[in-house]
Amino acid sequence: MGNNVIFDAHGEALLQQYRELLPTLNQLAKQAYDLLSQALREQGIYVTAIEYRVKKEKSLAGKLELKGAKYKTIDDITDLVGLRVITFYTDEVDKVAAIAKRIFDIDWQESVDKRKLHQLDAFGYNSLHYICRLRSGGPRFELQMRTALQHVWSTIEHDTGYKGDVKIPREYLRQFSRLAGMLELVDDEFSRLRLVLTDYRRQIQSLVKNGQLDDVPLSADTFRSYFDLHPFDRLNRRIAAVNQAEIYPVSMMPFLPVLESFGLETLGDVQHFIDDNSDDAYQLALSQLAITDLDILSSSAALQYLCLVFVLKHDGGREGLKSVYDTINGKSDANGMLADMMLEQAATLPFMQVKK
Amino acid sequence: MKTTIQEQDGNMVAILEGRLDTAASPETEKAMSPLYGCEGQDIIIDCTDLEYISSSGLRIFLGILKSAKAKGGHVYIKGISDDIRAVFAMTGFINLFEFK
Repeated sequence: MGNNVIFDAHGEALLQQYRELLPTLNQLAKQAYDLLSQALREQGIYVTAIEYRVKKEKSLAGKLELKGAKYKTIDDITDLVGLRVITFYTDEVDKVAAIAKRIFDIDWQESVDKRKLHQLDAFGYNSLHYICRLRSGGPRFELQMRTALQHVWSTIEHDTGYKGDVKIPREYLRQFSRLAGMLELVDDEFSRLRLVLTDYRRQIQSLVKNGQLDDVPLSADTFRSYFDLHPFDRLNRRIAAVNQAEIYPVSMMPFLPVLESFGLETLGDVQHFIDDNSDDAYQLALSQLAITDLDILSSSAALQYLCLVFVLKHDGGREGLKSVYDTINGKSDANGMLADMMLEQAATLPFMQVKK
Repeated sequence: MKTTIQEQDGNMVAILEGRLDTAASPETEKAMSPLYGCEGQDIIIDCTDLEYISSSGLRIFLGILKSAKAKGGHVYIKGISDDIRAVFAMTGFINLFEFK
């Protein structure tokens, strides 16, 4: 050994057992990782990280030097293979644990929920540790489950050598404890906020479903929910009928900033915008498409013509049209050409005459 | 209608010359088939000498875009004329592509 670690014969024997077991451990680590990753994916649980590692010989040697006598055989060391799942939210730690219970055999005597170990007035390392075994058998391994904030705390605590040789003064230990308490609070607040937001989304979806659009503020989320009502389908079909065109589905989200720039604040405003401009948007589309044989249209065509008509009817002129194109296509001088073309073609349409 | 596929600076480039109308589309689509298979490369469709595009031409462009996006790639359209740009705009497809 080149690590200045001093062993007795028992320690050497354990280390030798480890070396012989190493190929199995490497295989186990990968297999356990794959099983867990797949199970999380299937349950739709997105986590910040899943990591695995096989204990290095140097690290094992250090452990054996400190407490080698505790272990009779290499099988008694349960963290030769370690997996770690880092979740976004506290309640997801429990979900991951439930999945682990389903896919692995858990050694309950060795497993520990550090979240429950603290005194009521103490704060510190919060993590759930399971000692697992594959259902097909083999060595045990450790699965750590914690939130991203718990992970941050634990990593910094480790980095500062808080549990090292030097005795840390009480005031600094208290600072660690305070930070742990704060992070626990923040973790809980994030989880609570997520619940509130999920509830809010459900309420909004319900309002949209019931047609109470004036009560629904316009946002990315609500605009997406609004599509469930297929608000642009009728105008799209009308425009497509000009050339018996196929409607090719695309995202309409790029138009959200355009609608916001028009001062539309609720889905009710968007609905009025559609109702007020559909006939004119159809006239504008007709003037463009009827002279072509184009028989494919994007599903955003109706919304695009509605936006262009809105600008034309509100005297937005070339700059207004270019601004719409700049927003949906990205800024470009070529958008000025499209705006000029649109102005020229729209000039003879009835809604432009009425405006005069 | 002439279609040339070549690699330039690590990108796949399709150079289109002539009229991409309904009659020319099957042959053009076949000529552009290497673009469907390219992975980890961006695609540039050089339209500098493209005189016309029909719906079937648009469908080819959309097919290539769909395939490239699924692999995380980009499709750039280069040298497009005002008339063809107007076709992309009036059909509502203009914001799907990136123009050079």
